[in-house]
Amino acid sequence: MKKILVANRGEIALRIMRTIKKMGIKTVAVYSEPDVKALHVRFADEAVCLGEAASSKSYLDMDKIIQFAKELGVDGIHPGYGFLSENAIFAEKVTKAGITFIGPEPDSITLMGSKLAAKDCVKKYDIPMVPGTDTAITDIREAQKIAAGIGFPILIKASAGGGGKGMRVVEKAEDFVEQMDRAISEAKSAFGDGSVFIEKYVGSPRHIEIQVLGDKHGNIVHLFERECSIQRRHQKVIEEAPSGILTPEIRQKIGEAAVKVAKSCNYVGAGTVEFLLDENLNFYFLEMNTRLQVEHPVTEYITGIDLVEEQIKIARGEKLSFSQEDLKIKGHAVELRVYAEDPLNDFLPSIGQITKYQRPEGEGVRLDDAYEEGMEIPIYYDPMIAKLVTYGKDRTEAIQKMKEAIKSYKIEGFATTLPFGLFVMDHDAFRSAQFDTHFVKNYFSKEQAQDWQKAKARNAALLALAHWNTNQSKLKVSEIENSNWKKR
Amino acid sequence: MTDKNIIVNAGGFEFLFTESEIAAIDVLNNKAEDFCILSEQKTLTGEILSVKVKVYNVEIDGERFQVQIKNELDQILDNMGLNKPKVSKIKSIKAPMPGLVIEINVEEGQTVAENDKILILEAMKMENVIKIPHEAVVKKINIVKGQAVDKGQVLIELE
Repeated sequence: MKKILVANRGEIALRIMRTIKKMGIKTVAVYSEPDVKALHVRFADEAVCLGEAASSKSYLDMDKIIQFAKELGVDGIHPGYGFLSENAIFAEKVTKAGITFIGPEPDSITLMGSKLAAKDCVKKYDIPMVPGTDTAITDIREAQKIAAGIGFPILIKASAGGGGKGMRVVEKAEDFVEQMDRAISEAKSAFGDGSVFIEKYVGSPRHIEIQVLGDKHGNIVHLFERECSIQRRHQKVIEEAPSGILTPEIRQKIGEAAVKVAKSCNYVGAGTVEFLLDENLNFYFLEMNTRLQVEHPVTEYITGIDLVEEQIKIARGEKLSFSQEDLKIKGHAVELRVYAEDPLNDFLPSIGQITKYQRPEGEGVRLDDAYEEGMEIPIYYDPMIAKLVTYGKDRTEAIQKMKEAIKSYKIEGFATTLPFGLFVMDHDAFRSAQFDTHFVKNYFSKEQAQDWQKAKARNAALLALAHWNTNQSKLKVSEIENSNWKKR
Repeated sequence: MTDKNIIVNAGGFEFLFTESEIAAIDVLNNKAEDFCILSEQKTLTGEILSVKVKVYNVEIDGERFQVQIKNELDQILDNMGLNKPKVSKIKSIKAPMPGLVIEINVEEGQTVAENDKILILEAMKMENVIKIPHEAVVKKINIVKGQAVDKGQVLIELE
């Protein structure tokens, strides 16, 4: 491969291009009209404008991207994440145009893109899944038998429901009949369909995912886990590798399960198998993401492997240069996604111009970003500004480095998730690795967030008061001169 | 001598301290860039970025706070209304970004108070609540629910 087009924008486009350049390959950037001055455009050897701001008219326009790629003699396209990265049609079109798609086969994308088909496919490989019924049921006696078999607590879900509606948690067997009755009648009145699913209720779920790499010669390895349980709005915001609670035995089992999932769909390239982990460290297959993940840097830190470089090598048809036995975890890495969001206001987007921008520096600090002072966060795309990643010899050191990095990372002009990152790094539940996906709900409700902010403001007040009290005599003259009273 | 009250507004929160409480704070390092105090058995370090009369800009752990100290005289002036800064009032609410109006929470002729929710604008699948910075009367609503708007478009006119 001599020239690769990166069909993405922002920090991930830059991150991918850095590796491409390092490999001595030319880079082509694509951009939308408002992104003309973006850093990924400046960094690339060549750049083409796709069109208007709206993603559908630029970054999602498959035919335009492929047409430009052909005109510029591109021989590989990297989709990054988001946009077209999990679009089987795009992968197919790229291949048909005689260009290498740096990612899995279109069939694998399609298969893993459907949750039901994916579960069906991995079933024969003996992968643990959240125990439950495959089909909807209405018969209470049959349901009771199934529930007893699964073990309490269980979750009753209306088959026609969605978004949390028609869901009931049953803690113990005695309550089952009554709860089931109510769930069915609720489902009937709400959706006109009384059939329900029953599955095991995981009360304290953790999100654990396994990075896998597969080449075109049938070799598949896993690069251990990432813990992604700190989420807001069901989206990850802090990730780490390795997990603070997995034992080597479970790590091996879950890793092997992930490799089997990848094998079940003949996976080629970098992919991620997501699992749910319950409080007893039982793991259940959730889904597979057929692309590079936002949180891939934590894996790169602990394994010393550049995942983008591997993706490109695999796409070129090379064999993996390491086996499972060669892979070892070294140290610990933590990632904070820095979003233009206000943590004190339910993490709602808080956009604007960056009036001050100062990057954190130091050993074991990696910042994947694509902004400079004076730039504006465009509202058309994801509000992620950067990925801040720190690495230490162990978890404590990685967390400490993250704290220092957050403190020295200055972004002004709008609210960001940086202070939230500090909140998490300082929180006992996080420090002791005893947390689940309910972290934000449990410890960072709007009220708790306000109290936390108020405590910080009080500290600021104390500092100012002490300074004022100590230096009052010195300040007196200017104070009188500047008084509002005198101006009137 | 009576213990006078000092009111402090920091980062939007109001705190009340007494002069003796303030006098009990030990200053461990009186350098503005590395200002350190001992208060309630805890050490606190921050940077005093600027001091203008009794308005401080303080940075702790990379986060900035504006702190306004009000002594007794300021409090008296406040009560007399002499210290009130003039707030420039806005005449309309413009769209801060292109988006879709998904909810309008006011009616024409309605009096709205500071921080009242005016409407919700959706951009990139995220809902943004547009609030009002001060009290006003809604003169005219130029948009309807479900309408797509451009950045800078006047959504609501105020009196």
